[in-house]
Amino acid sequence: MIKFILIVNKLGQTRLAQYYTTGLSINKRVALENEITRRCLSRKDKECSFLEFRDLKVIYRRYASLFFLVGVDEEENELGILEFIHCLVETLDRYFENVCELDLMFNIDKAYMILDEMALNGNIIETNKKNIIAPLHIIDQVSKKLK
Amino acid sequence: MSVKLHDLITKVRESTTTSGIREIISEECVQIRNAFRKEDTKNRPRNISKLIYIDFLGFPTDFGQVECLKLIAHTSYVCKRIGYLGLSVLLTENEEVLFMSTNIIRNDLASENKFIVALALSSLGNIGSVEMLRDLAPEVEKLLKSQTAYIRKKAALTAIRTIRFVPETVDRFVGCVKSLLSDKNHGVVVGGIQLLIEILKIEPKSISEFRKLVPGLLRMLKSLVDAGYAPEYDFEGVTDPFLQVFILRLLRILGKDSKKYSNQMIDILTQVGTSSGLNKNVENCILYESVSTILTVESPNRLRVTAINTLSKFLSGKDNNMKYVALNTLLKGVNKDSKSLKRHRKVIVKCLRDKDISIRRRALDLVFGIMNKKNVKELTQELLDCLPKAEHDFRFDITAKVCTAIEKFSPDDQWQIDTLVQVLTIGGQYIRDDVIAIMTHVTGRNQELQYYASKKLYNSLLDDRYRNQKFIQVAAWVIGEFGDILLKKSIEENESIDPSQIIDLCQIIITSSRNDDLTKYFILNTLIKLSTRIEGFNETIKEIIKPFMKHVNIEIQQRACEYFRLFEDKELLVFSFDRIPVKDDNMEKQEIETVQEDQTANENSMKNTNTQENTDQQFSPNNNQSGQGTEMNIMGGNNVVSQNKTQETSSIENLLQLDFNNNNNNQNVNKQTTNIQNQQSNQSTEDFLSDIFGTNNNPNSNNTQNVQNTKIQNVMGILGTENGMGTGRGTGMGTGMGTGTGRGMGRGMGTGMGTGMGTGMGKGMGRGMGRGNVNTQKKNPSAIIYNQDGLKIQMNFKLVSVNGIPAAMVQTIFTNSTPTPMTDLIFQVAVPKHLQVQMAPPSSKIIPANNIGKVTQTFRVIKKQNIKIKLAMMTRIQYKINGMPISKQQEVKNLPLIF
Repeated sequence: MIKFILIVNKLGQTRLAQYYTTGLSINKRVALENEITRRCLSRKDKECSFLEFRDLKVIYRRYASLFFLVGVDEEENELGILEFIHCLVETLDRYFENVCELDLMFNIDKAYMILDEMALNGNIIETNKKNIIAPLHIIDQVSKKLK
Repeated sequence: MSVKLHDLITKVRESTTTSGIREIISEECVQIRNAFRKEDTKNRPRNISKLIYIDFLGFPTDFGQVECLKLIAHTSYVCKRIGYLGLSVLLTENEEVLFMSTNIIRNDLASENKFIVALALSSLGNIGSVEMLRDLAPEVEKLLKSQTAYIRKKAALTAIRTIRFVPETVDRFVGCVKSLLSDKNHGVVVGGIQLLIEILKIEPKSISEFRKLVPGLLRMLKSLVDAGYAPEYDFEGVTDPFLQVFILRLLRILGKDSKKYSNQMIDILTQVGTSSGLNKNVENCILYESVSTILTVESPNRLRVTAINTLSKFLSGKDNNMKYVALNTLLKGVNKDSKSLKRHRKVIVKCLRDKDISIRRRALDLVFGIMNKKNVKELTQELLDCLPKAEHDFRFDITAKVCTAIEKFSPDDQWQIDTLVQVLTIGGQYIRDDVIAIMTHVTGRNQELQYYASKKLYNSLLDDRYRNQKFIQVAAWVIGEFGDILLKKSIEENESIDPSQIIDLCQIIITSSRNDDLTKYFILNTLIKLSTRIEGFNETIKEIIKPFMKHVNIEIQQRACEYFRLFEDKELLVFSFDRIPVKDDNMEKQEIETVQEDQTANENSMKNTNTQENTDQQFSPNNNQSGQGTEMNIMGGNNVVSQNKTQETSSIENLLQLDFNNNNNNQNVNKQTTNIQNQQSNQSTEDFLSDIFGTNNNPNSNNTQNVQNTKIQNVMGILGTENGMGTGRGTGMGTGMGTGTGRGMGRGMGTGMGTGMGTGMGKGMGRGMGRGNVNTQKKNPSAIIYNQDGLKIQMNFKLVSVNGIPAAMVQTIFTNSTPTPMTDLIFQVAVPKHLQVQMAPPSSKIIPANNIGKVTQTFRVIKKQNIKIKLAMMTRIQYKINGMPISKQQEVKNLPLIF
């Protein structure tokens, strides 16, 4: 299962963080983020996208200035997670139209909603982009009407 | 007044310094706090969004937790959404605040708006605590049958969390899972499959029932594989790869160990497993999953060979990701197909030199996995070649693997010694501690190689380059033990070594500030042994030892003092440092059992010395050496020697019997121990050892004093002076010494005298006490004080006397009947004012699952005044299960003990 999903920029600043059943306190999370980010950022492009860290396996992928890091346990299919990251990025891209770091920062709630549609409790649930975005569109329309 | 999130971010981004950012944030936090205090409902969502941002920057945001609760209680969806988001980001699973949200979530689960229900389900699924999940399980079950697919899929995943944390709710969901699998919506099926996988983990028995689903799953997989372009779930030309992966994963579990159902899978697995792939990540991802499935289920050989070939294609490709997963999969399927693996050995070994550390690590594991007696020489050499170039962390891994290989697969003893010396010289500082035990084992066993080993080590020791601590320690031990053989044989071979050279070398090492204290122990030991093995150097050795009688390290100081005194009694000196007898492999297993026996006795001891624990654990060897209790005897005094000798001849089994016959008070405990022995036999001895030494009550730095002087509080009233032991107890003591020293020596070899004696004494006393109790106590009451959520706590009481005042020794036994281990156990006891409680640390912080083990913790209740009262106490138990903390407090009354 997935233990955490992190989006960080190339300076190592966290832009989104979701943890699933890690039992970590907030302070430990910050420490973990720093450590993992540091290690991932120092890896070269040609090296594989997997990094073993304590009892976790971190699978990461870089998209322009953003790093997507997913921590998983032993059972997960590493290549599947890479595909999941790609799916997440494509979905974000479709919703925000050319997603960039600032989109995530200004609309953090939307970004989380997309993530929640795709994964829950560390399990992948939905990978169809249309299905993922549909609830967001409905909500956007309703809030527009309210205004 | 309140700024927008947008503006806050812009402001922070404009600031160039960290202190500038900190200022902005602390200012903002003050604003937000004020808004919270004024109950500014309008800006609450905005404030929580800002807090989430602040949290990402690494600043504390705990003051916003309660506000999140207020938000989710709001009726508007927008507020709820931000509230739930805040809950999952700002709170950890362990927060008590979370529990207050239970009722709000319950209401939301019953909402008519599917988005609100989904929010509540997500939140419960992401951060729900054990209590919440237990309370809301019926609601989740109901939602699994909801009309809306959107809700069903989310409920499936929330159900996974529910059964993971509250395993007893599993029955609730077993019934619904089948209908989820036949759902039309892919999301629901994905959720259903994952739920089923989780159910099978918790209830492995139900696997045969669910095997009936195999044909349906195969049909589904086939339709996905054969499907043409399906725009809805298309991933670069592959239809829903995620669903395919999950189906393959479920098939893996269902087909394992079942020939019948594995056969049904052959066709489709062949189809998936032989598809071209290797270009797109999506295709590889399915191929990879199918290969794992083929290797796990009972598939025919040709299919396995194809699977392994696919992996070797991955390995020889350029993509590092593929290399990594291939190594990983080979590692999992390694045992069954080592033949077909052999052909790919070169490729795997090549990966050891890959530039990428992730790949090298995997390759190392795999190289070790394919190692056997035939190829061990070659592969170990490969590993050793990599060692000097590897980075710091990786070297530890390599040496550990080499050591295990030496122990496990060694084709002959000489190779074992050669390789040990090689790894010690090039990577000594990265080696694990029990390497010394391996060396002592092999040299003790093979007399012909004693000269060979000691000469090889001596020659290497002369070379400055190799002077790392571990190497010196091993060399010192061997030279000390076989010094006479070294000298004698070298004369025979005309390469005579001057004994004074050896002594000089020892002096150089022991006085050098570059060597640590542990190494100095070893050299002290070498010197004292050499004094008995080589004639005419006693005075020189005395001179070398003398300055250490004032050494700053108390261990060394004591050892030096003792040795110095020993020179006065030549006979005892020679006797004490006689050669350690050859180890008998058959004894080892029995010994382990005895140790377990000892454990129960030892748990009675109250005090614990951390220093001892540390050194001991550092040196817990995987294979234990048995030995004569000679070194021990110095401590016990002359009168024990004779007893000890006779004891050695009687077999350890006898000791066991003795224990069962006499030890009424510990009987129930003993029985439990034997019951679990079988189950635990595959556990490494290390565990037992660390358990025992965790409760060892004897600070080894001054154990001489302790024996003679009753200041150690007569823990059980037995630990008195030698003459304090009556005849009956004398046997007990002797027994204790016998086994205690045997084992003590095993470690003694590791640490030299220091720990050897500490351990020996500790165990000796443990056993002695166990025995002594028989005489003092007839029957001990016990009570089960807690039995909830699979955790059972039993207390065994025993009346003892401390300085004439009666006291109660309470042994607390924790067992766990759930399938998940409980970790971070903390057990606390409070007693009324006129009593005093002294706790010993628990034998472990983890209670193993399924009742396969237990944790014990002993404490002592002492009366401050000598009045007759009934024992009552307040207990608090804290532990974590699945990472979820649980804390229970309860009053324990009506205990069956009056004192």
